[in-house]
Amino acid sequence: MVVRSYNEELQYLEKVNSYCWKIKKGFQPNMRVEGIFYVNDYLEKLMLEELRNSCRPGAVGGFLPGVKQIANVAALPGIVGHSVGLPDIHSGYGFAIGNMAAFDVNDPQSVVSPGGVGFDINCGVRLLRTNLFKKDVLPIKEQLAQGLFDHIPVGVGSKGIIPMTARDLEEALEMGMDWSLREGYIWAEDKEHCEEYGRMLNADPTKVSLRAKKRGLPQLGTLGAGNHYAEIQVVEEIYDKWAASKMGIEEKNQICIMIHSGSRGFGHQVATDALVEMEKAMKRDKIETNDRQLACARIKSEEGQNYLKAMAAAANFAWVNRSSMTFLCRQAFAKQFRMTPDDLDMHVIYDVSHNIAKIEEHMVGNKQKTLLVHRKGSTRAFPPHHPLIPVDYQLTGQPVLIGGTMGTCSYVLTGTEQGMKETFGSTCHGAGRVLSRAKSRRNLDYTEVLKNLEDTGISIRVASPKLVMEEAPESYKNVTDVVNTCHAAGISKKTFKLVPIAVIKG
Amino acid sequence: MSIITEEDWYLPSQKYEYLDHTADVQLHAWGDSLKEAFEQCANAMFGYITSIEYVEMKDIFNIEAEGHDLDSLLFHFLDEFLFNFSAEPFFIPRKVEILEFDRENFKIKARGFGETFQIGKHPQGADVKAITYSNMQIHENKDKCEVFVIIDI
Repeated sequence: MVVRSYNEELQYLEKVNSYCWKIKKGFQPNMRVEGIFYVNDYLEKLMLEELRNSCRPGAVGGFLPGVKQIANVAALPGIVGHSVGLPDIHSGYGFAIGNMAAFDVNDPQSVVSPGGVGFDINCGVRLLRTNLFKKDVLPIKEQLAQGLFDHIPVGVGSKGIIPMTARDLEEALEMGMDWSLREGYIWAEDKEHCEEYGRMLNADPTKVSLRAKKRGLPQLGTLGAGNHYAEIQVVEEIYDKWAASKMGIEEKNQICIMIHSGSRGFGHQVATDALVEMEKAMKRDKIETNDRQLACARIKSEEGQNYLKAMAAAANFAWVNRSSMTFLCRQAFAKQFRMTPDDLDMHVIYDVSHNIAKIEEHMVGNKQKTLLVHRKGSTRAFPPHHPLIPVDYQLTGQPVLIGGTMGTCSYVLTGTEQGMKETFGSTCHGAGRVLSRAKSRRNLDYTEVLKNLEDTGISIRVASPKLVMEEAPESYKNVTDVVNTCHAAGISKKTFKLVPIAVIKG
Repeated sequence: MSIITEEDWYLPSQKYEYLDHTADVQLHAWGDSLKEAFEQCANAMFGYITSIEYVEMKDIFNIEAEGHDLDSLLFHFLDEFLFNFSAEPFFIPRKVEILEFDRENFKIKARGFGETFQIGKHPQGADVKAITYSNMQIHENKDKCEVFVIIDI
C-alpha cells in the first residue's frame, strides 16, 4: 500500500464545484476510472478529517477512510463511469457505505461483489401514508406507539409471529411480494409502489444454503435491531406541492408510517456464504484487488451467477419481511382507530432498497449499456419517464425515501435526469455514522438520550435501551446536510420532510 | 447435550474489550494461549448480544469448526456459535470452552455452557449480522496471545 502524507494525498483530490469532488487516478493503485464524491462544506470537513487521521505516521489497526475505499472500488475490473461516494458516506466492509459502482455486464472481466451490496441485502425503507392528521393522533400517541411495539417483533432474538413453514419460506423466496399478496397480507396496489414490483425474477432458492434458510425462517416478519426502526411521522414541510400530491400527501401535519428493515439473518448468511465462496473464485480466476475485503467474482462465473440468484432470493425475503410488518402496522392502526386500514387510506407510497445490486440499462458516453449497478447505502433515484417506475410517478420521478436517525427527521425526494447521468440514477440513503458505536457508548448516557427524545415530544419504545446510545442523533451526520447536498448537486430533488412522533426500535 | 459437572461452574475472568470502529464493533480478546484468546473472543461476541450475567448455565452445546488457516478457523469457530444462536436451538452461552484445538488441520471442537435465548429473561443487546475478515488479526506471543475481529452490527 502507498504511504503518503496528508498533503501529498490532497494532490489527488480536486474540488469540481461546491458540492462535488473528484478523486484522480493514482490515489490508489490500478484505478480504472476516477472517483467522485458529493459533500457540502460541513461534510467535506468530516471526510477530509477521516483521511487526515489515517495518514498519521505509525497508525496501526484502524480502518480505511471512505475516500480510499471509493478509490479501491474504482480499481475493480469492469467498472464504468465513476466510483461514486454519496454525502452520507462512511467507512464500511470493502465498499464504503454510501458507495455506488456499476460494471459492464458484457465485459467478460466484470465482477460482482457481495461487499458492494452489504450484509443486510435489500435493506430498505417503506413509507405508508394515512388520511389522519397530527391532531387525530396526538391524544392517543402513547397507545399507538405501544400498539405498534406489541404488534411488531423487535430486537435481537425476536421471532416472527406470522406463521411460516419451511415450504412457505421456499415459496416466499421465489415469489417475493406475490407470496404476501397470495397469502392475503398485502394489497395488490402495494406491489405497484415497490422497486421491481416486490419480486426479483431471477431469485433461485436452490442457490441458498440450508444455513441461511434456517436463520431466516424464524426471523421473517421481524424488525431487527441496530439502525432499523418503525416510526410514526408527521409531514412537517412540503417543498414540491405537486409531486407530494401525486404521492397522496396533501397538507402539512398528515401522518405517515416509515418502516426501515432488511432481510434479517437470511441475508446476512447469504452474504457470509458468498464471501467464503468468492475467496476461492478470486484465487482461481486470479482477480487482483487492492483490498482483501473486496471479495468478488466475475459476473459470468458460476460463483457470480449463484450469488446474484441467492441475493435476489434475499431481496425477496426483505420485501416479504417489510410487507409482513406493513400488515402488522395496518392492524395496529385499525385497532386503535376502530376503522379498516382501507378507510384510513394506508397505502404504500413507495418502498426503496438501499443495499442491492441490479441489472439496469444506462448511457455510458453515448452508448447504451447493460450494467450491474451496486448500491451499498445508496438509493436508486430514477428520473421522470423512466420505464421502470410506476405509472403514478411517471411525471414526478421515482420517490426516494431517506430515513433519518432516530428522533431527527426523514425526507422524501424524487429522482432527476441529472442524477441519471452523473450517478447512474443513485442518491444518498440516510444520515451516515460519524461516531463509532464504542465511542457513542462511552460518551452518551442512554437515560439522557431517551429524555431528550421525550422532551421533543417523541414517544419511544425500545427493546434494548443501551443501543439507544449507539443510534442517538449525536452518533450520526445531520441528515438535512446530506439531503441538501444531494438536492444542491442536482442528483435528486426534495419533495417533503417528515418528523417522528413515535419510534419503535430493536 | 451432556451433564454439567462441578468444575464447569468455574467462570473465567473477562479478557476482552470492544474497540472503536465507525459502523461496526471490533472485538479484542486475549489470553495466555491462542485457545484462551479464541474462547474469550466468543464470549466477547455474546457479551455484545446480551448482558451475559443473565445467562444461566443449564445446558451444554457442542460445535465443530474447520478452516484452511488460522484466520478462517477463527471465523468459522465464531460463525458456528453465531449460527446456533440465530437459528434453532437459539443457544446463548455464558462461557465457551475449546476442547480440541488442532493446529495441524485447523479444526476446533468446542462447547458452550448456557441456555436457549429468551426475551424477557435476557436483555436484548445488538444483533450481530456477521463475522468479518475485515482487519482480522491474530498475534501469538509466548506470554500473551491476542485476536482482533470486527463483527458486523
